[in-house]
Amino acid sequence: MNFNEAAVFKWVLIVGAAGASVIGLTLLTRPLVGALWGLVLVIAGCVYGYRWTREWWRNAKDRPDGPGGSA
Amino acid sequence: MESASVPLPHGGGGHTAEAHHHGPPAANQSSRIDRQTLGIFLFIISEVMLFGSFFASYFFLRVVVNPVSWPPYPFELPVAIAGMNTAILVSSSFTIHYALEAIRKGNRQGMKLGLVLTWILGLTFLFVQINEYVHLGFSGRTESFGTIFYSLTGLHGAHVFIGLILLSAATLRAFRGHFSKEPEKHLGVEVPGIYWHFVDIMWIIVFATVYIL
Repeated sequence: MNFNEAAVFKWVLIVGAAGASVIGLTLLTRPLVGALWGLVLVIAGCVYGYRWTREWWRNAKDRPDGPGGSA
Repeated sequence: MESASVPLPHGGGGHTAEAHHHGPPAANQSSRIDRQTLGIFLFIISEVMLFGSFFASYFFLRVVVNPVSWPPYPFELPVAIAGMNTAILVSSSFTIHYALEAIRKGNRQGMKLGLVLTWILGLTFLFVQINEYVHLGFSGRTESFGTIFYSLTGLHGAHVFIGLILLSAATLRAFRGHFSKEPEKHLGVEVPGIYWHFVDIMWIIVFATVYIL
């Protein structure tokens, strides 16, 4: 992942799509169903975030200019 | 002095190199991210935690306290107007992205257009939000619902206001001829752009939670 505006814009689209699915499901069914779907999405986001962070640190340690590197 | 062409050792140097170097030594950069971008990301992480505490309060009041009606009878939230406002704010993310894409290609006119459009859309969002507050019919003292409603949407509104100040500065600089296509020469647009996207993402969550669920 790059740390720039374009990468964050991609997340606007992802969160927008997720929000639209929650809104759509709530309007089609009941608020409880939408809330539960929202919770599933939040948990999925947390799992993704955790796995991404772990992977990032693993890769970072292998880089010469990473944490604990020689540069 | 034959050692004059020897590159400066990191974080200091001998007297030969110092003879050609004016001012303090260059700051050490241990991160691959420039400090401005790193700063805004760290700030956003702290903001996520702040919003998280407000959402925790919201769900506590709604689920655990569980009042008879939410929102309290006879009040209703203007979902259609808030939905339109959501569309306005989401559009502003596209315009700021357009501004950044334009300056990355060296198109300064496109950047100015994108910044001005973003600013107008952000201001429109804020005006619609204030107009909504005026016509809602309940205040922050109207049960716990009123308190958390104004706290959550007000917190977000404050962020939009700060974002508009940042965008104003970026727009003024753009019209004064600042910024060019090199990545380090348009950080003044990039950093407010990242912040603006964050504000947009938070609103999508606030809207879905407060107005829809």
